Amino acid sequence: MNKTMTISALALMMTSAAAFADTVTVVTSFPRDLTDPFKAAFESAYPETTLEVVSRNTNAAVSYLQETRSANSIDLMWASAPDAFEVLKEEGLLAAVDVQYEGIPDEIGGYPIHDPDGTYYGFAASGYGIMYNTRYIQANDLPVAEEWEDLKRAEYNGHVAMSSPSRSGTTHLTVETVLQGEGWQEGWATWKWIAGNMNTVTERSFGVPDAVNSGATGFGIVIDFFGLASKASGFPVELAYPSVTAIVPANIGIIENAPNQEGAKQFVEFLLSLEGQEVLLSPAIMRLPVNPDAYANAPEDFPNPFSEEFAPDAIEFDVDVSGERYNLVNSLFDVLITYRLNDLRAAVTAVQQAEAVHAESGNEEALALIAEARALIEAMPVTEEEALDPSLTNVFTSSSTDADTEVVGRQSEIEQSWDSFAVQNYRQAKALADQATALN
Amino acid sequence: MPDSYQTASRGFTLFPRLSGAAISGILIAIFLMAFLILPVAQVLYVAFLDSRTGGFTLQNFQDFFNTSLFRESFVNSLYVSAMSVVFATLIALPLAYITTRFNFAGTAAIQALGIIPLIMPPFVGAVAMSLLFGRNGSVNLLLNQYFGFRIPFMEGLNGVILVQSIHYFPFILINLSASLRNIDRSMEEAAQNLGSHGMRMFRRIVFPLAMPGYLAGAALVFIKVFDDLGTPLLLNVNNMLAPQAYLRITGVGINDPMGYVISFILVVFSIFSLWASFLFMRGKDYATVQKGGGGLSRRDLKPREKWLAWGVILLILALVLSPHLGLLLLAFGTIWSFSPLPDGFTTEHFVTIFTQSSQYVWNTIIYAGSAALIDVLLGTAIAYIVIRTGLPGRKWLDYMATAALAVPGVVLGIGYLRMFHGVQLPFGLGQLSSFWGIIIIALAVRRLPYALRACMAALQQVSLSLEEAAASLGASRTSTIRRIVVPLMTGGILAGFVTSFATAAVELSATIMLVGRASDAPLAYGIYLYMQSPAGRGAGAALGILAVVIVALGTYLSQRIIERERIRQTMSHDQH
Amino acid sequence: MSQTKAGIQIEDLHLSFGETKVLEGINMVIEPGEFFAFLGPSGSGKSTLLRAIAGFGPTPRGRILIGGRDIASLPPWKRNVGMVFQSYALWPHMSVRRNVAFGLEERRIPKREIGPKVEQALETVGLLHLADRMPAQLSGGQQQRVALARTIAIEPQVLLLDEPLSNLDAALRVQMRRELLALQRKLGLTTIFVTHDQEEANTTSDRMAVLDRGVIQQIGTPQQLYDYPENAFVAGFLGTANILKGTMQEGAFITEAGQRLPTSENVSGANRIVLRPQNIRLASAGSDGDIVGQVAHREFLGSQIRYLVDTPDGRIVIDMLHSFGQPPFAPGASISMSIDSRSAPLLVD
Repeated sequence: MNKTMTISALALMMTSAAAFADTVTVVTSFPRDLTDPFKAAFESAYPETTLEVVSRNTNAAVSYLQETRSANSIDLMWASAPDAFEVLKEEGLLAAVDVQYEGIPDEIGGYPIHDPDGTYYGFAASGYGIMYNTRYIQANDLPVAEEWEDLKRAEYNGHVAMSSPSRSGTTHLTVETVLQGEGWQEGWATWKWIAGNMNTVTERSFGVPDAVNSGATGFGIVIDFFGLASKASGFPVELAYPSVTAIVPANIGIIENAPNQEGAKQFVEFLLSLEGQEVLLSPAIMRLPVNPDAYANAPEDFPNPFSEEFAPDAIEFDVDVSGERYNLVNSLFDVLITYRLNDLRAAVTAVQQAEAVHAESGNEEALALIAEARALIEAMPVTEEEALDPSLTNVFTSSSTDADTEVVGRQSEIEQSWDSFAVQNYRQAKALADQATALN
Repeated sequence: MPDSYQTASRGFTLFPRLSGAAISGILIAIFLMAFLILPVAQVLYVAFLDSRTGGFTLQNFQDFFNTSLFRESFVNSLYVSAMSVVFATLIALPLAYITTRFNFAGTAAIQALGIIPLIMPPFVGAVAMSLLFGRNGSVNLLLNQYFGFRIPFMEGLNGVILVQSIHYFPFILINLSASLRNIDRSMEEAAQNLGSHGMRMFRRIVFPLAMPGYLAGAALVFIKVFDDLGTPLLLNVNNMLAPQAYLRITGVGINDPMGYVISFILVVFSIFSLWASFLFMRGKDYATVQKGGGGLSRRDLKPREKWLAWGVILLILALVLSPHLGLLLLAFGTIWSFSPLPDGFTTEHFVTIFTQSSQYVWNTIIYAGSAALIDVLLGTAIAYIVIRTGLPGRKWLDYMATAALAVPGVVLGIGYLRMFHGVQLPFGLGQLSSFWGIIIIALAVRRLPYALRACMAALQQVSLSLEEAAASLGASRTSTIRRIVVPLMTGGILAGFVTSFATAAVELSATIMLVGRASDAPLAYGIYLYMQSPAGRGAGAALGILAVVIVALGTYLSQRIIERERIRQTMSHDQH
Repeated sequence: MSQTKAGIQIEDLHLSFGETKVLEGINMVIEPGEFFAFLGPSGSGKSTLLRAIAGFGPTPRGRILIGGRDIASLPPWKRNVGMVFQSYALWPHMSVRRNVAFGLEERRIPKREIGPKVEQALETVGLLHLADRMPAQLSGGQQQRVALARTIAIEPQVLLLDEPLSNLDAALRVQMRRELLALQRKLGLTTIFVTHDQEEANTTSDRMAVLDRGVIQQIGTPQQLYDYPENAFVAGFLGTANILKGTMQEGAFITEAGQRLPTSENVSGANRIVLRPQNIRLASAGSDGDIVGQVAHREFLGSQIRYLVDTPDGRIVIDMLHSFGQPPFAPGASISMSIDSRSAPLLVD
């Protein structure tokens, strides 16, 4: 639209603006590297239809749909995080439309590809991995970390980055996968020890691959396509899939009251067709198709989640548990880790030092102090049972969903109690560890 | 003589009639209510709601002060803002002093370059700075390689202070330079006559006289840094107030009122800071008797001083232009990873953006240009009403417009969505909230305080007797404003336009909520899109360079046009 | 430049800045074509009164009539009064010619008439050759003339001059005030001249008003005010005056120290007497005189000698014409003084 002209003669342009009937409007968190090829492929398959792409990050897209529900102008929501779709579905913002497709199995790695209620559809699969910068690890003489456990080791101190689960739906899935795979207590301990090695917790999920690409950090916990696409763009990076990983689909859903529901359905069907699935294989996109047949034309080394050797220990991901404690887990992570990263890092570093000093010494007193410090770092203010109790989880969800449930306090009250719990424990742990080091 | 004058209201002190000023004042107030106060109130009133019952409560504020994280964030924000003002002053003062006090070859270039840091698009600035100054950035890689140590430029709050002071020091530079140029020469000569000279005179006479300009700039820097969330977020610093507000407002599905409480506190604190600076400046209205005969006397530098001046200036410029240098390397580089320089150089990224992204450029020019135009119109009008009329409540226009500084862009964006969604425009333009015109209004509201401060400072420097002379010669108020006030304010209005335009051109936080279609998106949004993928980093940087070039060109052109206009004005009657 | 002469009437004018009263109960009539001065110390309200006539500052209470029309509620640009500012207020962004043309353009006078009028105004002040200069390129006296030209170009009904000479050097000031007067006579413009300098007021004005603390003390010709001041302020402000306190008794003024001064008139209740320095004659002690005293200090001024003399009523100033070769009284000398009784105005407080 030529705005120079419209500014001088507003009325003139109005006649031309009526051509929206054949436009499908999609709001998406995907980069244009992904949307552009699909837009081109779709528009050449359906020349009479235009795909209008509105880019927003997942959170902004959800807020946008919530704020504008009274007069919706968006046809489709297209993003990675299944949680975001769960939120939209719960609020009745997604339409259940019967979409035709074939050749796509019901599950991938134990995770249902499509929403059983038919409100959103998985079109690509993603795993989570450890991305690392080869120049960085060479310069710092570091081994490759292939498992989550590896990242806990002292040698990685200051070399790791991840994004906050509250800011990135995909990261939340990673966090939840480890919690489900290792159990609540052990899972959180793993995250705290890894976080103690971090130099940053980023706000954007893309901040992590960006930091690894530029060499600001050595290792990043990322969704696979970031690593694969970075590598395809020429950056000196590699991606390792840990054996415990979740394979989850990236989704698309039709918005309730979509202005062009027919066109929206057309686009979803195109995405799920073999033709659409093969677009995913292009180097700038690098996402895993959900149709096993699409892998026939895949480049060599392209990971295939349907193959036997892929992520052998993949867990059964419990979507209900994840959804139940979604906000609580995010809040816990931020309060215990993101906002107190400095304290946590100091404590973990002190413990690592103490352990290095006493690796051989066998000093009972020091080892006891170290064990106590470790326990303080790993301690959680909330048990798994409490984390699934509606009277606590509902503190963190919007009032509109469940106003009747008794709750145990206000979010800020609870967060403040967690915060003082964490700060006190971390500082005490550091003091104990320093004490142990001094016993040398 | 029309009798209507006799019946007019006589309540005002300067001109006894219900004048155009009153009408403009009311219209501006309505505009600000509709596009700033009400949308923001729509968002902020959540701070007073019980998140479960929806009833009115002050509990949330109690929670805020009971939360240690928030108290620390408050202190951190205060510390970062104050230190940023200090560093911004250290950068701006030598530049302003040297370019206004001495005959210096590079004056024009330095003053122009001094504005460039303001036009660094978000995302790319911090990326570029991290690549240069980060823990494994060029500087630290080289330091580590040759000297075996690193300097933590970008660690934690340091990084925020560094990036903010480099980004915002032009506010001080612009305002301070304008004030310095308006000081009457006799002030300085009187001081010299009484035995004062050099730095001592600068400190005791020149700087105090330039204080209103300096304070205007410093207050802007303080409040902008206090409210800014982009930089801390990009540097992953969470424990400051603005990022805390943002993180809590934008979380999916969370109903945490604390984000709104923090936003409310940000707004209140910023207004308090402004009020304090107003109080401090009261009674320091140093209007020179006459503009035109004024300006500090410039002297030539001795050769040694010249070298020293060039040294200082080049050092400062190298620092403040480093984000652009980093951006340039990124835009022309192939792969840049864990190395002082990119692996190779290419123009490929520019080819990419020229084939894909021309609509961003036009959108940006139109949006930022219109917004800046609205801003200087409103800014001049508000400045005039506040300083030159006795309209009751006139100060509130200033307060309201300035309060926009304190509103995080995302709050304004959400406010617009809440308020204007569902308002159907005529002529098939669609929703008001997704109409591109709303982006212009959002930008204008967000940048109005910049233009307003510049216009206020300019008007304060225009002696009242120059206007009275016109009035007594029969010029109506409108005519006086048009022919006397505005031409004499030209410098300040221009500064306001440039600042508004340049910063609006790279604004993202409000627009990201309001862009309805990719075809309506401005440059900063395009950069944001590119920067979300590994392959797009170079292209995003190239687009960033394009943005800088466009804004610099726009700045240069507007300066030329107004300069030519001024020359034309003074010459036209001379050759009849 | 023909302009119907307009008189000015001010009726019961009051004005205050917030709580502070600046002008109180101002009443005066200025005749058409008159050169009228407002004289007073700084803070007396003279400039405020002038600005009120021009329409600046807070709205006053009362009436201001120019040519019989009440202009008090008109905005400044509807009043057709020309004002020359103390700072001249030349617009620095306009040439001399454009400054002068400004008021005419605002009056929507056809363009072809503006040029000649501007040139005529500039010619009147003798600056036509500088028409294309910018104000910053002019000297103070030239700026003053441009300000004047700019004002008379609009052919105002009255001309208001706000301390127009205060920014000029002494020689130029004398020259400019004569030019001003000549110009005023030529144009016949009703003119108000604000000054704190009694010499300027005396030499130029037909009549003047002396103001103090927002109140008119006295109106009259310079000579009337000098010779017949109505109060101590006027007496003291115009020229040098020795003011002695005392009472009227049997046709004579008895000072506080008990000295008897004969007077020509018998003002009942008079409690002050004004003795001008030049109206007291000095003689050696023992001569016949009204008051005795002792010379404290002496200043030789050329045409006259000024003595400060200590008397029982305090120190008084006496001027004596100097004649060639006449030896002055030495400090410390006892002298007697006699007073020209006709020249000693009596004041009643």
